[in-house]
Amino acid sequence: MNWDWDKLQKQQQGRPGGKPPSFDDFQDQLDKLKRFKLPGWKLVIPLFILLWIASGFYIVEPDEVGVVKQFGKFNRITTAGPNYHIPYPVESVLTPKVTQIRRVEFGFRSVGRPITQSFQQGVSREVKEESLMLTGDENIVSVQFIVQYMIKDAENYLFNVNDPEQTLAHAGEAAMREVIGNGKIDDALTTGKQEIQVQTRELMQRILDNYHSGLSVVAVQMQNVHPPDEVIEAFKDVASAREDKSRYINEAEAYQRDILPKARGEASRITNAAQAYKETKVRGAEGDAARFLSVLKEYDKAKDITRKRLYLETMEAILSNPDADKLIMSDDALKQSVPYLPLDKQLRRAAPKEGK
Amino acid sequence: MKKSTIIIAVVIILGAFVLTSAAFTVDQTQQAIVIQLGRPVSDKLGPGLHFKLPLVQNVVFFDARILDFDAKPEEITTTDKKYMNVDSYTKWRITDPLTFYTKVRTIQGARARLDDIVRSQLRVALGRYTLIEVVSHKRQEIMDAVTKRSRELLLPYGIEVLDVRIKRTDLPAENARSIYGRMKAERERQAKQYRSEGQEASAKIKANADKERAIILADARKQAEIIRGEGDAQATKIYAESLGQNPDFYDFIRSLDAYKRGFEKNTRFILTPKSPFLKHLQ
Repeated sequence: MNWDWDKLQKQQQGRPGGKPPSFDDFQDQLDKLKRFKLPGWKLVIPLFILLWIASGFYIVEPDEVGVVKQFGKFNRITTAGPNYHIPYPVESVLTPKVTQIRRVEFGFRSVGRPITQSFQQGVSREVKEESLMLTGDENIVSVQFIVQYMIKDAENYLFNVNDPEQTLAHAGEAAMREVIGNGKIDDALTTGKQEIQVQTRELMQRILDNYHSGLSVVAVQMQNVHPPDEVIEAFKDVASAREDKSRYINEAEAYQRDILPKARGEASRITNAAQAYKETKVRGAEGDAARFLSVLKEYDKAKDITRKRLYLETMEAILSNPDADKLIMSDDALKQSVPYLPLDKQLRRAAPKEGK
Repeated sequence: MKKSTIIIAVVIILGAFVLTSAAFTVDQTQQAIVIQLGRPVSDKLGPGLHFKLPLVQNVVFFDARILDFDAKPEEITTTDKKYMNVDSYTKWRITDPLTFYTKVRTIQGARARLDDIVRSQLRVALGRYTLIEVVSHKRQEIMDAVTKRSRELLLPYGIEVLDVRIKRTDLPAENARSIYGRMKAERERQAKQYRSEGQEASAKIKANADKERAIILADARKQAEIIRGEGDAQATKIYAESLGQNPDFYDFIRSLDAYKRGFEKNTRFILTPKSPFLKHLQ
């Protein structure tokens, strides 16, 4: 055919001119094309078919499942390992990660990392419009919590709900607020946390199952629960009042432990002093008695002379005292003299009378 | 040979064209209807491979999944005349795409309908309860009622409402302030009570300790007097036994002792010659 056409071309060239060189070029190109294309067809098509067939191989990782759709319709679930599906456009495959535990934050955002990463201790920023909730006793409390969840049913997860993550976030917020709204503020702040977590998890699961979302709530964990900033001082003051109460009691007990032993010591001092008095008294009496009896023994032997001796010794001892004024007057003079007693000098008149 | 290849090529190209314009797949997440010149001509088509006439018919796809409608928070009044901001969301699904297509046509249209109906239903339902009922024990009841009613009202649009759920119930700022005021007062009362209880307990303990101390000391003093008395009694007995042997002599020497001690200082003696002591001076 081409040759005929060439001949025709050549025949039609009545006169020289036109564009012989370009025409020759074209001719060359055509030749090349033919020489190139003929083996090409035979090679490319099978290669293409091979590639197309090969494109049906896929690997399902251990933490994934394969979900195969045939013309868009769910067909089968495949498990980990190498698998094959009929290539596009007949079948296609999705491989969601089903063992991975994901995490959503409520009421706060960890700063400087994506929300899906596993939890690290770090700085977080409170999101007040999410964290503040009303309690059943008409108080307001700030609750920050996280929800850990995973895919329990890949088919439901992929095909049933438009936005599973958003759905989970809604359910979490609604569930926690409902549970907090049914309780008292003190439950949320102190002892009721465990119960709240369990109830919220169950309620969330019920909501999500109702949507056939294919999600499973692994855990609800309250992270930071505190009274709103406006009243936090008052709450702290209650805690410090509790401390004060036990401090007062401790101080009183310390006082008690301080004074009672001291009192017992004082008591023992008092009784011992009495005991000492008693013993002193008795021993003094015994001494006096012994002395008296020994003197008496000798006195009985010579009554008169001893009596006299004792009398004189005594008088001597009294009158030899340099402080004592002595005055000797006759009886008559004594009778005639006016007794004058300067009381300011506190003089005492005394005349030792002779004992019998 | 050359003619046949051309024919084959043409057939393949034509076939491909017909296939691509006549066959279509509906994904597992979708449903579809076939429209011919603006009128739906098929029932709801589920996922899989389907065919239509090329050129004259076209396909409209709809999401078959559960869709989310997040209403704007709005202020409602409860029966006890309190205001609150209620934020709700609705889970819904297109169950009858034909009706849906003829009545509301698009998701946007559906959202407008949902907004109207759910909002008014919520308003009506919430207006029947007090604030605290809405927040706590009547919450589920209210949501169930609103869901049921909204479902009935939206069914004619080919829409099924699965769930209307109250997400947040917040108070306007001034109401929140009054709650904060009350919370503060409650806690202050509690703090006062703790402190005064502490003082009460402390005073009791201290008073009790003081009492015990007084008793201990009084007991000790009593004991001391008893012991002293015993000592005095014993001493008296000893004196009586020994001195009683000669009272006259005791009287004499004890008197002498007393004179010695008694006349030690500032004593003026006026002696008369008659004094036995001076008898030798005469």
